Amino acid sequence: MRKLVAALLVTGLASSPALAEFPEKPVEVIVGYSAGGGTDVMARTVAQFLEKELGEGASIVVKNMPGAGGQIGFTEVSKANPDGYTLGTFNLPAALALTKDREADYDVNSFTYLANFVEDPNTVVVSASSNFETLDEFLAWAKENPGAMTFGLSSLGGNDHFSANMMAAASGAEFTLVPFKGAAMARTALLGGHVSAGTMALSQTTEFKDDLRVLAVLSEERSPFRPEVPTAKELGYDVQMSSLRGIVAPAGMDAEITDKIRAALNAVNENPDFQQMMAKQGNPMAFVSGDAFEQLAKKQDDVAQAIWDETPWK
Amino acid sequence: MYSDLVHALPNVLDFSNFAAVVIGVIAGIVVGAMPGLSATMAISVLVPFTFGLEPLVALGLMAGIYNGAMYGGAIPAVLLRIPGTPAAVATTFDGYPMAQKGEGGYALQVAVVSSAIGGIASAIALMLLAPPLSKVTLLFGPSEVFWVAVFGLASIIFLLGNNVIKGLISACFGVFVSVIGSDPIYGNDRFTFGQLELLDGISIVILLVGLYALPPVIDLLEVPLKTDGVSGSKLGTEPIWRTLPRMGRFWKTWIRSSLIGVWIGILPGAGGSMAAFMSYNEARRTSKTPETWGNGEPEGVAASETANNADTASALIPALTLGIPGTAVAAVMLGGLLIHGLQPGPMLFRENPDIVFGFMWQFLFGAILLIFLGGSLATNSFARLLNLPRPLLGSVIIVLMLIGVYSIHGRMFDVYLMLGFGAIGYIMDKLKFPLPPVVLGLILGGFAEENLRLALRIGRGDWSILFANKTSLLLVALTVSVIVGPIIKRHLASKKDDAKRAGR
Repeated sequence: MRKLVAALLVTGLASSPALAEFPEKPVEVIVGYSAGGGTDVMARTVAQFLEKELGEGASIVVKNMPGAGGQIGFTEVSKANPDGYTLGTFNLPAALALTKDREADYDVNSFTYLANFVEDPNTVVVSASSNFETLDEFLAWAKENPGAMTFGLSSLGGNDHFSANMMAAASGAEFTLVPFKGAAMARTALLGGHVSAGTMALSQTTEFKDDLRVLAVLSEERSPFRPEVPTAKELGYDVQMSSLRGIVAPAGMDAEITDKIRAALNAVNENPDFQQMMAKQGNPMAFVSGDAFEQLAKKQDDVAQAIWDETPWK
Repeated sequence: MYSDLVHALPNVLDFSNFAAVVIGVIAGIVVGAMPGLSATMAISVLVPFTFGLEPLVALGLMAGIYNGAMYGGAIPAVLLRIPGTPAAVATTFDGYPMAQKGEGGYALQVAVVSSAIGGIASAIALMLLAPPLSKVTLLFGPSEVFWVAVFGLASIIFLLGNNVIKGLISACFGVFVSVIGSDPIYGNDRFTFGQLELLDGISIVILLVGLYALPPVIDLLEVPLKTDGVSGSKLGTEPIWRTLPRMGRFWKTWIRSSLIGVWIGILPGAGGSMAAFMSYNEARRTSKTPETWGNGEPEGVAASETANNADTASALIPALTLGIPGTAVAAVMLGGLLIHGLQPGPMLFRENPDIVFGFMWQFLFGAILLIFLGGSLATNSFARLLNLPRPLLGSVIIVLMLIGVYSIHGRMFDVYLMLGFGAIGYIMDKLKFPLPPVVLGLILGGFAEENLRLALRIGRGDWSILFANKTSLLLVALTVSVIVGPIIKRHLASKKDDAKRAGR
């Protein structure tokens, strides 16, 4: 009898929700890119504030697993035990776009979507010495000379590429896409006059205000960082594309733990110190939590799928 | 254009940044003095560890090591006739006879002063040439960069010497390694065998650690080196201020060898040993007393040591401005820059002027420090360092390599990859396949492919875009002359021989 009670007690203890105790060991945040990059800096900033929100003794370890355009890190997160101790950064549309053009061990349903923090809109940008002063002039020329407009991109299958495709679809112009190795190289080529335009994210243009002319920003509303730049939508081209950075966990996570982490991330976002730090790093914020984030991911997935179906890039 | 240079100076004189250069020079001299350990190896082992350091501390260490090692190689070359680094081979020709005549101390003083002069010349060349070049290279688009890469590949011919076939096989192996990973345009997998870790291609640092560091370490464990050290009387060291006036007559050699070293450094492909040989031969050819050469002519030591230090900073001129390294060491240093998120190329000078110009200052200070640090280290007690238990040294280096490579991306895959390249390097070493063409093949092959495809995309498939401007045409002409030049020279030489034979 005593043994039975003891056994019941033990099982009872073991099966009691870990929630009350969570986190009782360090939480890992897996970053699919190298330390020092934009995603890594976001992860470390969020981690710093999340640690406080999760309560006394909570510790968060940021682990960089760079490689294969982030795929190594995304895969690691999707395969991890959904116990709340493995989180990861999530980049849209990159993380889902790469599941279209190559074999990946995860898809849009492999994650529990916690919160998105950053949204960096793409742009249509030309060199400051370019003849094009407005988006209309630019597109008019591109339409007259199909294929002569060269667009420098950071790669194929990313938000730069999708931006160019969506602009082409919306305006009826035809562009020649030139995928460089990374955003910095694409920008250098644009500055050197080797390509005529680019679609780089707005944050990539901030340090080059005098050398680059941003013709339009591909977001719903004007960016607080560059309020003088019109959106493409205002100019009559309903195109929105951006690079999003958020935090996810593996799919199938216990609802209570999910809620606890979501609540903590909400609190992080409401902390003015956090907001200030993110702004200082030049991060355009777009906080989207929980189901809304999941919807956003699914929408991005559909966009990538549609572009892949229509104009496969590989 | 040069104001950034002045702005960067205070930062360099910051305690930790300056200390890094001092430590680097000392470590470099030690490494260079150890036969079998080269600057390339020391820097490749170091690079992964610099991740957590401030960029200028990391770069200062590298600049110091490079300068120190190029001189350090002279110490055993003079005292024991064992070149500490491949670049010090030419130093043995006259350095060792001098030591036998009891002038070893003077030989080392000549070596240290010449090394410093070469290093200073090289640093100044980097400071003067890189900033204006960085403005020009912004105008280098994919087609121009493609031709630079082709030119570099063609200049591998310089490296081949008598073993053309083996050198070409090495270069082809390097080019093959460059195609591993996703292709630069569409991202199709090539030779990845489903390994995600290979999608980004082979990291140059991992290849270099495996290829350049592992084989010498195995050698270290394989071959016991026995030296009896040197007896004090042979050195005959006098205070340097008394010997300096005697060196005055080398000024022509110093200038000539500096120019040769700087030029060889800028050329992709060739490196320190080639600079040293060329400048030794030139100096002997122009000498009034060629018969003393090889029997302890201090000017021979000056020629070799000036040149092998004069290629250090200049090798970074194409590396920093175009991202195309001139030597294997420059390639590792680029790896070091990339680890710190510094993308080489024209934008580097704009976005991180303090770092890039600080790095140049560090090269200059490294060279100047050589006189002080190198002079005091070149003693008998230092020569005894060579008797350190080699198995101990070897195992320490292997452990550092393993930790270092693991820490780059935090994965064991890279460690296995490095060990694999180590095995390949070891076999190549034994079969006398040259290693530099592998590195250049990897770097330049990748550049050539990527930029050719980008250029053709920009030109919408029209190949004439490759010849569309003067820069491209100039580079094509240079490439042709590099390939055809030696053939014509050989042809003329054989004609001369025929003429001689006919005249007899």
